Amino acid sequence: MFERFTRSAEDVVKGALDHADRAGSRRVESAHLLRALLDGEGSRGAFVLVALGVPERRASLERALDLSRRRAGLSGADSRALAELGIDVEAVVSRVEDVHGEGALADRPRPRSLFGPRRPFGKEAKDVLTRSLRIVTARGERRIGDEHLLLALTTHPGAVAEALADHGVTHASVERILYGEGEDRGQAKAG
Amino acid sequence: MTEATDLAERAGDRDPRIGLRAVAALRRLLEQLEAVQVRSARNQGWSWQEIAAELGVSRQAVHKKYGRQ
Repeated sequence: MFERFTRSAEDVVKGALDHADRAGSRRVESAHLLRALLDGEGSRGAFVLVALGVPERRASLERALDLSRRRAGLSGADSRALAELGIDVEAVVSRVEDVHGEGALADRPRPRSLFGPRRPFGKEAKDVLTRSLRIVTARGERRIGDEHLLLALTTHPGAVAEALADHGVTHASVERILYGEGEDRGQAKAG
Repeated sequence: MTEATDLAERAGDRDPRIGLRAVAALRRLLEQLEAVQVRSARNQGWSWQEIAAELGVSRQAVHKKYGRQ
């Protein structure tokens, strides 16, 4: 799959590793892929993000990712589902943080040997990479660019897609920027 | 009318998606909680055996998951 990555997609993967390193995370998560995408300049992915007004709201988007990280990676929808069971996630987080310090429930590195392997990709992040390949294949394109990684991030249900959607970045809005009219209307016209 | 709305809402509560999502979210929360508590116990000098006994799992299981290489 990696041999089909464009330079911009490679930069996102490398950037995600750096973000995971800096955050001291055990694995590379889809949130790290998104943070790396936000760092992009001059790529197709960066173009989409600018068109959707994301750079101006970057701080807010990063706050949403931070909040989810503090809540064990749970999305707002996850928290609401737990509230249905009478579990107040924010209360759990703040009690644990009172005793064990801020960010106690965030992903932490597992003690490892100094010469251990470089941190692996988490299940979700791997899934994003696989989805990007599928998107490209379905469109009959050959190379995977960072814009396809962004598209894949919007399709994986969870905290990252939710944070993106809250900032106007959905599968539909990204497709509209990238491919114009959007799949639905295109199909309607064709039919 | 109100009754019908209540019924509709309660039917909504039975939406398996909400219940399943809650289970998945709980599992995720549980994993992080376990990591926090194991780390805390180790910092306080607990043995793997003692931690495993409290968690109701084998010493090997807890060591494999959290132990240093």
